[in-house]
Amino acid sequence: MVYRIVHRTSYKYMYPVSVGNHVACLTPRSFPSHRCDRNKLFITPKPATRTDRLDYFGNQLTFFTIQEPHRKLVIEARSFVTIEENAKRWPGQSRPWEQVVKFLPHDHSAAGLEAYQFVFESPRIRASEEFADYARQSFMPGRPFADALLDLTGRIYKDFKFDSKATNVRTPTEEVFRKRRGVCQDFAHLQIACLRSLNLAARYVSGYLRTYPPPGKARLVGADASHAWVSAYCPDSGWLDLDPTNNVVPSEGHVTLAWGRDYVDVSPFRGLILGGRDHILKVGVDMKPLEETPVLNPSLRSSQAF
Amino acid sequence: MISDLLQIPLRDPSVYDELSSDGVIPRPHWAPFVDSLKRIGSDELEKRWGRAQRRIRENGITYNIYNDPLGASRPWRIDLIPLLISADEWRYIEAGIVQRAQLLNLILEDLYGPQKLVSSGRLPAGLLFANPAFLRPLAGLAVPKQTYLHLLGVDLARSADGRWWVLADRTQAPSGAGYALENRTIVADVLPDLFRNSNVQRLAPFFRAQRDALVRLADRDNPRIVLLTPGPFNETYFEHSYLARYLGFTLVEGADLTVRDRRVFLKTVEGLQQVDVIFRRVDDSFCDPLELLGESYLGVPGLVDAIAAGNVKVANALGSGVIETAAIMPFLSGLSRHLLGEPLKLPSVATWWCGQDYALEWVLEHLGSVVVKPAFPSRPMEPIFGAELASAEKQKFREQLRARPHEYVAQEQVALSAAPVWDEGNLFSRSMVLRTYVLNTGTDWMAMPGGLVRVAGAESSVVSMQRGGHSKDAWILWDGPVDTFSMLPPRDQPVKLMRVSADLPSRVADDLFWLGRYIERSENKARLLRTLITRVRRANGAELGCLIRLHSCLDSRSSKLPKKRRATANELEAEIMSLISDVKRPDSLSATLAEVHRVGGNARERLSVDMVRLLGWLADSAHIEEYMLFVEYSAVLNGCLELLSAFSGMERENITRGPGWLFMSLGRRLERAMQSARQLREITTPLAERDWPLLEYLLEVADSSMTYRSRYYTTLQPVAMLDVLMADPTNPRSLEFQINHLADLYQKLPRHIPDDLRAMRDILALLHSFHLENLEYPLPSAASGDPFPGELSRLQQALRDLENLLPSWSNNLSNTYFSHARTFAISIG
Repeated sequence: MVYRIVHRTSYKYMYPVSVGNHVACLTPRSFPSHRCDRNKLFITPKPATRTDRLDYFGNQLTFFTIQEPHRKLVIEARSFVTIEENAKRWPGQSRPWEQVVKFLPHDHSAAGLEAYQFVFESPRIRASEEFADYARQSFMPGRPFADALLDLTGRIYKDFKFDSKATNVRTPTEEVFRKRRGVCQDFAHLQIACLRSLNLAARYVSGYLRTYPPPGKARLVGADASHAWVSAYCPDSGWLDLDPTNNVVPSEGHVTLAWGRDYVDVSPFRGLILGGRDHILKVGVDMKPLEETPVLNPSLRSSQAF
Repeated sequence: MISDLLQIPLRDPSVYDELSSDGVIPRPHWAPFVDSLKRIGSDELEKRWGRAQRRIRENGITYNIYNDPLGASRPWRIDLIPLLISADEWRYIEAGIVQRAQLLNLILEDLYGPQKLVSSGRLPAGLLFANPAFLRPLAGLAVPKQTYLHLLGVDLARSADGRWWVLADRTQAPSGAGYALENRTIVADVLPDLFRNSNVQRLAPFFRAQRDALVRLADRDNPRIVLLTPGPFNETYFEHSYLARYLGFTLVEGADLTVRDRRVFLKTVEGLQQVDVIFRRVDDSFCDPLELLGESYLGVPGLVDAIAAGNVKVANALGSGVIETAAIMPFLSGLSRHLLGEPLKLPSVATWWCGQDYALEWVLEHLGSVVVKPAFPSRPMEPIFGAELASAEKQKFREQLRARPHEYVAQEQVALSAAPVWDEGNLFSRSMVLRTYVLNTGTDWMAMPGGLVRVAGAESSVVSMQRGGHSKDAWILWDGPVDTFSMLPPRDQPVKLMRVSADLPSRVADDLFWLGRYIERSENKARLLRTLITRVRRANGAELGCLIRLHSCLDSRSSKLPKKRRATANELEAEIMSLISDVKRPDSLSATLAEVHRVGGNARERLSVDMVRLLGWLADSAHIEEYMLFVEYSAVLNGCLELLSAFSGMERENITRGPGWLFMSLGRRLERAMQSARQLREITTPLAERDWPLLEYLLEVADSSMTYRSRYYTTLQPVAMLDVLMADPTNPRSLEFQINHLADLYQKLPRHIPDDLRAMRDILALLHSFHLENLEYPLPSAASGDPFPGELSRLQQALRDLENLLPSWSNNLSNTYFSHARTFAISIG
């Protein structure tokens, strides 16, 4: 499956901004079965400096500064991504989850060390007994890790209501848990908090989700949005992706931009400006499959994105 | 008997006594010192000490205590008696802390590099990954000369058997070296002969080496080095400003720096100056809100990227706080053998990081004999003394430990040694901790010969300056020659005369500019309100109308007067009250004075002690008590105006005419010109005779009644008024005077804004072009509706133009000198 993705972010400021330092995380990652063929960032006004750097997690960040006064800033990322179909298989068997917990601290392999850092708290995610209790209803003693993981994903999907008004980017996960409402970012944070509260390794994935128009209607350009989901580490089969917002295992419809400990590590765009005061932010994503697939995935038909 | 007055304090047998092993005879290296103290005598010592205390207060040596009801700063508390350390003992300590600095530096190099210590299992991975102080954006970035640690602070304690133990390491921005220096200056001054005769190791060579080391970090001749402070509210701000002056670096806050083109620049009124090295006292994660802690206002956005580009060096390297935790201590002994090939010379106090299974089990079992602390200091928690927990609490705490074990460390409690403390003629014993420092010179490691001794308050075993302890000097009694180099110029050498102070940071210029503006604004408000108060109760209908017009000159956005109909006297009275003292109204006098206090506080480094004190008084000088009568309000305003005049007097007479003064004066002139233009516009509209009281009010507000009367006696003429308040170049309250002075001040600016200067000259020419004698000033009868005479309307237009120009000049100053953005030129035409 090949996608063309256009992700456009624009800021309109109330007063001129004299200097802005920004960082964008808008370049899709490449890994087996998922390849970023082309990616280009268009920024206006033209930045005075622009540097690409890989972050600690291997995501590509673009740093830039705008040093001329401006009232409008537009960042447009255009990417082509190829996803191999049916490449990811859900493991049929996995060891009991307690064994995963025990094994992680002692796994000094590169992949094991890499994964182990995702066991701990991060800027936006605190572990707690509350989350652990919620998770234990899926992670019952002796249950295979992968089974429990699917069960937890399904429970979050069932117990929590998608509601874009209930939370904002800064809402603490504890509050999401109490309100039982939120958006993809909240559900991802919540599921990570649950897994980490059991000392399991879980990371936050930022990306895009293919949406399907209602039957008989044309695809709406720009109707898509950025999305977020979860990846959990299983020593036997590696990282397993889960989308608690839609209760699916991400496959051809999910394009991965970046991963990190939580939203803070991989927020698509952030910056600090001098001046400006209030601003109006607009974000639009357009994700177009270059070859339409004939069969619609039923589980994704009513999918909700961030 | 003098000697009786200096009793050696009784010895507590359970701790090591620094002064005496038996409570009777001083230890050998203390004996000459104690003898000399006895010779000086306790009365004389007390006298000298009193003088030293005065000096501490006068020099403004402070330490800020958080949450202190007494305000931000308290005088620094120092004890007269230094801690004496013999040469041999010092050699032992020195070798130990130097080795430790080398070791910690190597550990940092690994953690931010290949992480072999983690992959080989020599350091538990959790210690790194669970640690919020591990700053991932810094991983893999090159650090010049492997200088992760430029300066290390090591806290030492001595146990009952006389052995030294490391209590804690300060790896990111160790504080106290400056206080140690200040302590030395004070104590050496109080005990000059004793200091000279004791062959004490000097501190200056250490600081010289530190300055040289920072210069070498830069890789450039004459590098610009700044000391980055969190600002005046930080607990050790005094030390930052003291060290900056002593080392010859510019003291800056995050807002003084900006990243452009992947380089760090200091914003000064002279322009942007590239910074090569940042000696920082801001904690790691606060240094760059773009890549580290997003909520920080203390840092510099883009700093990490500038570091990545190799364009700026930061000491200590960002991220070095990752090992500022006791959790690393249990592993140091093994790491020393592995990385240095030698055993650890100075032991750490016994420590267990609960993130390891066996350590956790041990701690759970021996909870009663340890103190538990947070493993990662960014998660604050009061230390928990296991022995003090009831058994139910103990059980609960055990569960807490089991749930998140990696967040805790447990340490054995050390019975701190006791040092003698001088108090009102007697010696007392107090628990003490010695903070030592090690410098990375780039090629070698060097310990500061001395340190900062902190002693607990009476009857306390917790040593903390935050909890009101004292500090002491530490004397290394050397057995060889000592280097008597001094960083301060010797008194008998001719001084190199300087007329210009160092760079004026833009932030300070900004604050001084606004201090000028707010002071002037307060004065105008206070005068105008006073005129209103004294008249509103006696005003007839026409006068009330004039008072309301006078009030309108404030252009108050939050005015409570009715807009559709004319306000009553009562309504005006209420409005006046609210304008004086309602702090919730941004345009009230009280709110303006609060701004004066705020910006003045920010710029206090550049103001005299007296001026700062005046600002404090001014802050609540417009406070109205409930019991006050309306007529008493004018007394309140009089008091406020007196303070404002006192401040203006000091500003004129006591501040050198440097760039700081220049910006303050610019602020004042601009603000006064704004007020003046606004008030003059009020009399360029036709005035009926019954409106003439307004002329009198405006004269009074401009403090020009005397000038006017001495020239024109009591007849109030609009044209004569215009001459006095607008055109008279000799009246310091006239508009002409303000613009003229503004133009003068603009010419003195380090970089001109030629367009604005030209606009000022145009305005002056325009003001001069009005022949006031010929100005037709008809007094239209209310009914006739005469056409508005041409010359007067031209004047009104000129004032309106000026009212638009003045804020744009202010913005241009701000963009050019403060924020360093491109400016937009506006001129009249």
